[in-house]
Amino acid sequence: MMTFKRYFVIFTIFALTLSSVSFFSVSAQNNTITSQQAEQIRSNCVSTKNTLNQLHASDALLRVNRGQVYESILTKLMDRFNGRLSNKNINNSDFISITDKYSSMLDSFRADYQTYEEHLSIALNVDCSSNPTEFYNAVASARTKRDQVHTDVVKLNQFLDQYQLALNQFEKDYQTAAKEVIN
Amino acid sequence: MNKAEMPKIENTISFKDRHRFSLMILSSLVITMVLVVISMYVYDNSGAAQVDLSRPGYISVRSQAVTNNADFQNYSSTGEVNQETISEFQSLFVNQVNKAKSFDAFGGDPLSPNSLGIGAVAE
Repeated sequence: MMTFKRYFVIFTIFALTLSSVSFFSVSAQNNTITSQQAEQIRSNCVSTKNTLNQLHASDALLRVNRGQVYESILTKLMDRFNGRLSNKNINNSDFISITDKYSSMLDSFRADYQTYEEHLSIALNVDCSSNPTEFYNAVASARTKRDQVHTDVVKLNQFLDQYQLALNQFEKDYQTAAKEVIN
Repeated sequence: MNKAEMPKIENTISFKDRHRFSLMILSSLVITMVLVVISMYVYDNSGAAQVDLSRPGYISVRSQAVTNNADFQNYSSTGEVNQETISEFQSLFVNQVNKAKSFDAFGGDPLSPNSLGIGAVAE
C-alpha cells in the first residue's frame, strides 16, 4: 500500500512539473499585445503584408545567390586546394578541420533558412485584421529564425577568415622553407 | 451437340480479364498520384521549395538570380604546389570571399515590430 502511495506521489509531482514546464514554454512563445498594438496591426495590415511579401522574395533571392557563392567556395576552391595538398603529401590538417566546420555550418545555414522561410510563410498566411495577436506572434517567431540565419552567415564568414589565416600561414611557412633550401 | 451442352464461354472470363484495360488505366492513375504525393513531400521537406524562384511569390526577383557563374574559376585539385600556385589560389579565394562578405546578409532587423510599424505606441 505504501509503495502504491509513493508511486502516486512521484507520478503527481512528475505530471505537475511537466505541465508547468509546458505552460511556461507556451507562455513564452505567445506574447500578449496591447489593444493599441492590435489596432495598429489591423490598420496597417495591408502595408505590413506587402512589406513581408517583399522581404520574403528578397530573402529568397539572397539565399539563392549567397548560398551559391558559399557552396562554390567550398566545392570549387577549399576542397580542391585541400586535395592538391593531400596529393602532394603536404600536411593539410588545419585546412581540413576548418573546411569540415565550414561545411557543417553551411548545412545549418540551409536548414535554418528553410525553418525561417516556413515561419515567415505561416506569418504571411495569418489574417492580420482578424487575428492580430496570432499575426504578431508568427512574425516574432519568424524574426527569431531570421536572426539564427544571420548568425550562421556570420559564422560562415568567420570560418572563411580562419581559412584565409591558415592560408597566409601556409604561404609564409612555404616561403621560409624555400629560402632554407636555397641557402 | 445440343444447346444445353455448349460451354458458357462468357461465364468463364473473370472480372479481371473483362476489365483489363480499365484496370490498367486505374492502376496507372493510382501509381501517378502516389508518385506525385511522394515528389511533393520531398520537394517541401528537402528545402528545394525555399530556393525555387519559379514559385509565384518570387516573380519580382527571379531575374536577379545569378545563373551564370562563369567568373567563378575552378582550382584544380591536381598539380604542383609552389609559390605561383599558392598565390593563384590566394587570389581566387580572396576574390570570392570578398564577394561573400560584400554586405551583411540577413542582417538588420526588418521583422522587428518597429520596422513593420506595429510596435507599441506610447501615449
